[in-house]
Amino acid sequence: MQHRHDVRNFGGMVFIILFAAFSVLTTGCKFQPGWGYNKGYSPEQPIPFDHSIHVSKHNIQCQYCHNQVERSTHSNIPALSTCMNCHMQVKTDSPHIQKLRDAYDKGASVEWVKVHMLPDFVRFNHAAHLKKGVNCQTCHGAIETMSRVTQNADLSMGWCINCHRQPENNAPLNCTTCHY
Amino acid sequence: MSDTHSHHDHDHDEQELAAKKAARPKIEHDNKFWLSLDQYQQNPEFKKLAETEFLSSPLKEEDDSANEGWARREFLKLMGASLAMATAGCIRRPVEKIIPYNKQPEEVVLGVPNFYTTTYFDGSEAIGVLVKTREGRPLKIEGNPSHPISQGGTTARAQASLLGLYDPDRLRAPKKNLFNEKRSNKDGIGISWDDMDKNISEQLKKGAVVVLTGALTSPATRSVVSEFGQAFGAEHVAWEPFTHEEIREGQKSCYGDDLVPGYRFDRAQMIVSLDADFLGAWLTPATFTKQFSKTRKDLGKMSRLVMFDSSYSLTGANADIRVRIKPSQQLDVAMGLAHEIVVNKGRSSYAGNSNAKSVLSAFAGTAKKLGIEEELFKRIADDLWENKGQSLVVAGGLQTLTADAVELQIAVNFLNSILENDGKTVEGRSGNSSLKSSNKELLALIKNMEQGKVKTLIIHRTNPMYALSSSAGFAEAIKKVEMVITTSERDDEVAQAAHYVAPDNHPMETWSDAEVTAGVFGLQQPTIRPMYDTRSFQLSLMTWAFLANKGPKRLLAYETFFDYLKNYWKEEIHPKQGRGQSFDDFWNQALQEGFVGESVNSSARSFRAEALNQVKKSKDKTGYELVLYPTIQLGDGSNNNIAWLHELPDPVTKVCWDNYVCVSLATSQKLKIKNGSVVQLTVNNKKIDLPVHIQPGLHDEVLAVAIGYGRTHVGRVGNGVGQNSYELASVSNGNLVYSGQETQVTVLNKTYKLAQTQEHHSMEGRQIVVEATLKDYEKKKEHIIHRHPIWSIWSGHAYNGNKWAMAVDLNSCTGCSACVVACQAENNIPVVGKKYVMQGREMHWIRIDRYYTGTPENPSAVFQPLMCQHCDNAPCETVCPVLATVHTDDGLNAMVYNRCVGTRYCSNNCPYKVRRFNWFNYVKKIEKPLHLALNPEVTVRMRGVMEKCTFCVQRIKEAKNEARIDSRPLKDGDIKTACQTACPAEAIVFGDMNDSESRVSKMFKHERSYALLEEWNAAPSVRYLAKIRNNGKESASSDPESKGGHS
Repeated sequence: MQHRHDVRNFGGMVFIILFAAFSVLTTGCKFQPGWGYNKGYSPEQPIPFDHSIHVSKHNIQCQYCHNQVERSTHSNIPALSTCMNCHMQVKTDSPHIQKLRDAYDKGASVEWVKVHMLPDFVRFNHAAHLKKGVNCQTCHGAIETMSRVTQNADLSMGWCINCHRQPENNAPLNCTTCHY
Repeated sequence: MSDTHSHHDHDHDEQELAAKKAARPKIEHDNKFWLSLDQYQQNPEFKKLAETEFLSSPLKEEDDSANEGWARREFLKLMGASLAMATAGCIRRPVEKIIPYNKQPEEVVLGVPNFYTTTYFDGSEAIGVLVKTREGRPLKIEGNPSHPISQGGTTARAQASLLGLYDPDRLRAPKKNLFNEKRSNKDGIGISWDDMDKNISEQLKKGAVVVLTGALTSPATRSVVSEFGQAFGAEHVAWEPFTHEEIREGQKSCYGDDLVPGYRFDRAQMIVSLDADFLGAWLTPATFTKQFSKTRKDLGKMSRLVMFDSSYSLTGANADIRVRIKPSQQLDVAMGLAHEIVVNKGRSSYAGNSNAKSVLSAFAGTAKKLGIEEELFKRIADDLWENKGQSLVVAGGLQTLTADAVELQIAVNFLNSILENDGKTVEGRSGNSSLKSSNKELLALIKNMEQGKVKTLIIHRTNPMYALSSSAGFAEAIKKVEMVITTSERDDEVAQAAHYVAPDNHPMETWSDAEVTAGVFGLQQPTIRPMYDTRSFQLSLMTWAFLANKGPKRLLAYETFFDYLKNYWKEEIHPKQGRGQSFDDFWNQALQEGFVGESVNSSARSFRAEALNQVKKSKDKTGYELVLYPTIQLGDGSNNNIAWLHELPDPVTKVCWDNYVCVSLATSQKLKIKNGSVVQLTVNNKKIDLPVHIQPGLHDEVLAVAIGYGRTHVGRVGNGVGQNSYELASVSNGNLVYSGQETQVTVLNKTYKLAQTQEHHSMEGRQIVVEATLKDYEKKKEHIIHRHPIWSIWSGHAYNGNKWAMAVDLNSCTGCSACVVACQAENNIPVVGKKYVMQGREMHWIRIDRYYTGTPENPSAVFQPLMCQHCDNAPCETVCPVLATVHTDDGLNAMVYNRCVGTRYCSNNCPYKVRRFNWFNYVKKIEKPLHLALNPEVTVRMRGVMEKCTFCVQRIKEAKNEARIDSRPLKDGDIKTACQTACPAEAIVFGDMNDSESRVSKMFKHERSYALLEEWNAAPSVRYLAKIRNNGKESASSDPESKGGHS
């Protein structure tokens, strides 16, 4: 019994320290919303397309460019021909527009960096949400003010379910709604 | 102290256990339906197999030397996905790119498929199909429901042809072969189109050109070939293994029409088939199945099918009465029936014809001679007569290509004429008049080639180097041809002997047309831009003529075959079929609908009695007779590189990835062989080694071998699979003989394991398939089905919206397996290869179980398609530890792949054994560009994930989405599952059970409908309609209580 006073339980101490660090790390992160998700992701695009100019300043509707969103599960990034509808004449001196024109003339495309990425096992249906009256800003935030597109919400399953669970939304809660 | 106590308890427990076991009620297995001979004989090995959920590899215990070549060969698992991530650096998230269109095509909406009408032609049948494309990429083939002939039906091969488009073994550019003197060795080099065209057009000017093609159903192509013939004095010879020449010769002798007639099974109440597998692989099976199934749905007017079968064909399996014969008896049967009608009963206009009677008299006593019950034979003849004008006798196919093939056709024509069927069920002039392949012409061509009379040979869509027996001498004769050009799309057997390979486009990449039947024309439009540097056959001919500046103006006037085709339609087809429409409207309608025209009516023709004089009785034969037959999976073997077709189990034998020789049970006992023994067959000095498959229901002197296997140069999937039994055909009297040949059998001291799927998923004798005869049904109606009392202590969930359900009519299902391939195409189901099929790891979500009933000497068969039953009280849902499989509020058993951890408890618990586990990462082994065939709407599963039929949930969602966007309610028929749309017999119906007006609700309420294993109260959402056999008898045990046989 006497021995126990002097000998430090070295193993035990290490264990406690590690355990504390581990729990801080995990639970601490738990209290940081969006950690591990891409909330706030704002990658640089090959051409710095500025939504605030096009939408806020020039009042171009979302669905002018993203025209297939009400018929399709995808909200389409517009083809270059849509951009050239205006930019054949508009601001042709800008180097960015030059880049766009060059791609258009060559028959090539622009490789936009995808901002809102859902994992492969999730299937999101834009048209269904539009039909229900959900507007773009609800999930994508104030896009019309963004000079560079930023992911506004963390797009986690919990975040989606929060809305689906509101009884007034009348939204399905089956697993196969998104996972099939 | 605890030790001794528990020891004592242990002994006591054992005794108690033994006593309890003895007191348990004995489970009587209902042996009415059996899957295989092992089960019928209650083989202990089978019992052990039946108890194992997951089989270990049978290859482990084998000595590897027995499986040389097969075990070592790598099977590619050719389905899967590969979503490439753009960068692999150490960043937190993958960077994905979105690459939009440069110019938005008007008709493309991302994520919404477009359907294009086109035609699929397999050498005998032209099926109107719709090709589903997404963003310019074909993904799925559906039947075209508005097509007047095939009416939406497809076949397994039509469904699988999609994979042929993305085949990695396709040639991507033209090729030139440099041969040595003897043409025994070659070097292949690339060559440009221009260089090749220059050389070829120079050569063509020398004349003595022959164009050898397969059956050309396209009128525009035939026009190009004939104009090309005018340009260079070229002869056109058409040849395919299935020539149907015997039918044409028979028709010519009897009626003067050198045509394959149209048959109308939907107008026939009594059908007798002599080895014509019309539901399987003969002539136009999708159309025939569609027609035939129409006579099986209304039980008040049900038809009767009698099959005289020398192999166990699909049609034989579906026959109400099946009689086993050998090929040398086919003629006896036909003439014997005629004798019965004309001579014995003195019926028909020929009753007084002494010539006919004297010819027929040689065939008296046929039934007795053949060992057929005389009463039965008489009844068949009587039934035929009683249904005159509504009966049909058919014969044809490789099984009937004996030395007496044409005589058989004459006998069959005679029967149809005296039964007044001609003009009603046999439409002499409304068949596909473009089917003009000829064995005789090919053999004559070979003679010419041998003599050096052919300077240039152009070969298109035919493969005599593989599909023609070497005794015809094509391989030697071709060496005498100065220049051989082929349009093969791959480096196949013909390309090995060709100087120039000018690869043709795949049919889905090119324009063409088709003559479906007389008067009905369809267009074939491309659904994808040609993937490689290939050129259509027609354009090649046009180019060569143009460069040589020879030929009619029309041949030289156009730059593309599309222009030629459109002009051809304007000049030739529009005037006849146009009906006052402008050409543009006519053309657009043809593209929209998929067809134009109407089939012509045929009136009755008079039979030329002198044709009967050709029919002489041949000598009686003893000894083994060979039967060569095509399978529905591979047909003539041209699709041999498509893995889906190899993995598809043969509907009757359930063997895949191989061919074999079928022997009867008695033969196997006589030769002392069993399943897997290897024997050597000798036919006319040609030898072939084949594994044995014991086939119940085969005539004891028949050895049946499938053709279409054993290719050497088709690609990495098909090379070396099976044995080439085309070799066994013999040349005789300027024609080819396939079946009925004398065969010797030598038993070799080897064994070879066949991959057979049937013994997996045994159901232990419970009421799985309900079969009754028509007489039973008329007497007892719904009591043919044994109903179980089901009770539950709770009322179940309420399904207030849609409740998805499916009904399968066993009476319509023929077992053709088009649904199996369709499901594989729609749902990205991987192919696992032979080794894993042997372990029971095949991935098909829907399978067709084939049950035999009766004795092993002559059983009948029933087919039952089985998919996930979407049980309301699903045994699988309750045991998933992670809730990866749950029930949705519209009645589906949902499978959430991302949650599954691979416990496999669900599969263990499923009584129907419909769940499939991804043991390996099958998707990783994909060979590009096969990944383009994947359906983007369906998740591709990785290793460790369970999968099963989802009732095509992606189609349900798509239809619901469309209805939502259009602000209209869903109606019955909006959602059709992949299996439903593929089925030519309309056996599968999917719909909403909560809608009382839906088709599926009505089928659920039908008195013939029952649920599988309903006594377990799993409450499946699938109902089967009992099979009814119209054999004029009541079944042996008509007591409903004796079915099921369990307490």
